[in-house]
Amino acid sequence: MKRKLLSVVLAAAMLTTVLAGCGGGSGDAGTNPSSDSGASSSSDSGAASGDVEEITWMFWDDLNATEDLISLGYKDVLDRFNTDYAGQYHVTAITTNLEEYYPKLNALVAANETPDVFIVSPGANLTDYVTPGVTADLTSILKDENPDWYASFSGGVFDKQTYDGKIYAIPTNMAAACVFYNTEIFEKAGASVPTTYDELLDACEKIQAAGYTPITISAGTAWCLSMLVGYLCDREGGPDNLDKINAGTGSWLDPSFIAAGEKMVELSQYFQKTAAGDTNDVATAAFYNEEAAMLIQGSWAIGQINGANPAFEDKCGVFQFPGIPGGADPNRIIAKTDSLAMSSKTEHKDACVALMKYFTDDTAQKYTAEVGGKIPITSVDVDYDKAPAQLKYVMDILSSTSGTLGFYNESFATSEAGAEFDNQMVSIYLGDQTVEEGFQKVQNFFEEEVWK
Amino acid sequence: MNKMMRDKKAILLFMAPAFILFTLVLFIPICQSVYYSFCDYDALTPPEFVGLKNYTKLLRDDTMKVALKNSLFFMIFSIVSQLICGLILAGLLTNIKKGRNLFKNIYYLPCVLSSAALGLLWMFIFSTKLGINQLLAMVGIEGPLWLMDTKGTIILPMKVIAFVALWQYVGQSMMLYMAQISSISTSLYEASYIDGCTKTKTFRYITLPLLRPMMATAMSLNAIGSLKFFDLVFNMTEGGPNHKTEVLATHLYTQGFKFFKYGYASAIGVVLLVLCLFVTFVINKYIKIDNYEM
Repeated sequence: MKRKLLSVVLAAAMLTTVLAGCGGGSGDAGTNPSSDSGASSSSDSGAASGDVEEITWMFWDDLNATEDLISLGYKDVLDRFNTDYAGQYHVTAITTNLEEYYPKLNALVAANETPDVFIVSPGANLTDYVTPGVTADLTSILKDENPDWYASFSGGVFDKQTYDGKIYAIPTNMAAACVFYNTEIFEKAGASVPTTYDELLDACEKIQAAGYTPITISAGTAWCLSMLVGYLCDREGGPDNLDKINAGTGSWLDPSFIAAGEKMVELSQYFQKTAAGDTNDVATAAFYNEEAAMLIQGSWAIGQINGANPAFEDKCGVFQFPGIPGGADPNRIIAKTDSLAMSSKTEHKDACVALMKYFTDDTAQKYTAEVGGKIPITSVDVDYDKAPAQLKYVMDILSSTSGTLGFYNESFATSEAGAEFDNQMVSIYLGDQTVEEGFQKVQNFFEEEVWK
Repeated sequence: MNKMMRDKKAILLFMAPAFILFTLVLFIPICQSVYYSFCDYDALTPPEFVGLKNYTKLLRDDTMKVALKNSLFFMIFSIVSQLICGLILAGLLTNIKKGRNLFKNIYYLPCVLSSAALGLLWMFIFSTKLGINQLLAMVGIEGPLWLMDTKGTIILPMKVIAFVALWQYVGQSMMLYMAQISSISTSLYEASYIDGCTKTKTFRYITLPLLRPMMATAMSLNAIGSLKFFDLVFNMTEGGPNHKTEVLATHLYTQGFKFFKYGYASAIGVVLLVLCLFVTFVINKYIKIDNYEM
């Protein structure tokens, strides 16, 4: 009898353990995001307890390991928020690296554990969350509940975050894609700043002849290469190219796309030898370590460059991506904002709004420009003498632009279409297929998946 | 013990935890996946039944063809290479007198390390700026693009990953074979030596036949493990460049977690499941196992 009792007790204990392991998911959601998601958490300046409202914020860089000045600025924002609201609100960061950001965010969304606030790129990525209702409509929060906050933003910054007149994300800063160049190498090679595609080829030729690598770019991180192709597509065919593709009336086999692809192949002879395998970070490092003369990148690279090699700031010049003679408007510029979306299911709306305000307050925006080198999205007074030299060049370029466009791969209806564009461009670069074959595959994809 | 085995309640109670766990974490999700594979499902809105649409799309999906080709290559390579290398290592280690445990631990060590960390480590070794290519550059050789080359039917990055997987998991096959070898009665060997057998002959005529059951087990484990292989591929190439190193599991991951196409990803999962069952069936059917008294 005793043995029987023991076996029953033991079996019951095992069952309890098993069931305890299975349960406990939803009740704890949010209080310990690092263990829930497997992502590392940072910026815990104080533990949440008692009546403190705990929220989570998801971001694509490791705040404790990064040297990126913009990411470090975000860490400051969280620390300020946690200090100022100690005892009332507390935010914990869920961080991943950039490459794994969206799959991990998607996994959390699918598991019904969407972070309260998360960073997202406008365009197809934001659309992915707006369409199924993952992100909250912020229109009335901005316009009715916080009109002063809404009024602090610069004009037009909400364009890419607006769907059917409703705002779904708050921009935190803006970056423009330009060509960063090493003035010292240009001088030694006798190259001058190019304004046309032919002059760019000429500069590359001179730099190569002087024994330097003309362009550093990453094909290992596909969007870096596709950004260059995006510029070439726009310089060849102008805004019509993208508009027609998105309206379903254009064709990827249009001569302007093919010409853009051919120019990318032509330029590729001036890339660093390891471009095919280099990641974005490695390619950018080749620039600030003065191994290559030019880097075609968004101005968020300023924070990365100056954070890693502050001494390089004086040698780093910036010019607008050159135009193509006989092509379209050469004064358009690729621009992109970092944006914050709020979960539509958050139970801590006030805490989330308070946090988002911290990202766009004067302290954060001044830091964005004066330290991080990105363009602020509010009308804050910035001391440009304090700001990185490169930001002034970028602002000069921006002041003379005729319009902006988004990244090509983020401007399509779905993020998968953007990934397809990226992949086919890398494949063309690797010599795996011809330009025509590559664009034919993009065309086929759009016919089957996007324009259906 | 016998008394306990007669007690049906005790049997039920002891089986319950495993049964419940199996049902909750395996059986129900498998059934759900099969259902989702017939649906248009993005995990955010309720699934919509679309019949065989996902499966017909799979047939036209070029990436699926590449993934299937890579997974099959990976499976065949793993089965053959691990069988040969595992047997050789097991044969060698059971015959050395000194340092057996040391070498056993060394060969088995990669198995217990995290695949994610190892994937990153090997990615650095094969990267363009570090590791092997830098060593080659020192002697004036320009190394290939180990993880980005796209020439040939089975491209270089797949071969590199297969090699790393062999390095990582050969210890497991070796352990399985060693366990089986150590269970073979020494009297059989003694008898063969009295009859004048050399060590090679005893391995050929005694060890190998008696290892057959374990070979079937190890091959099944290798086959299933390599079909659902994910970590090294994901950490070394993420399926790139342009999906050329995609295997079934990474294709499933990309479709599901990156693009919210859980219905389509479920269909890939079902294909993977069927393939695993089929391969296990074939191996068990065609590897004849004779039972000997050991």
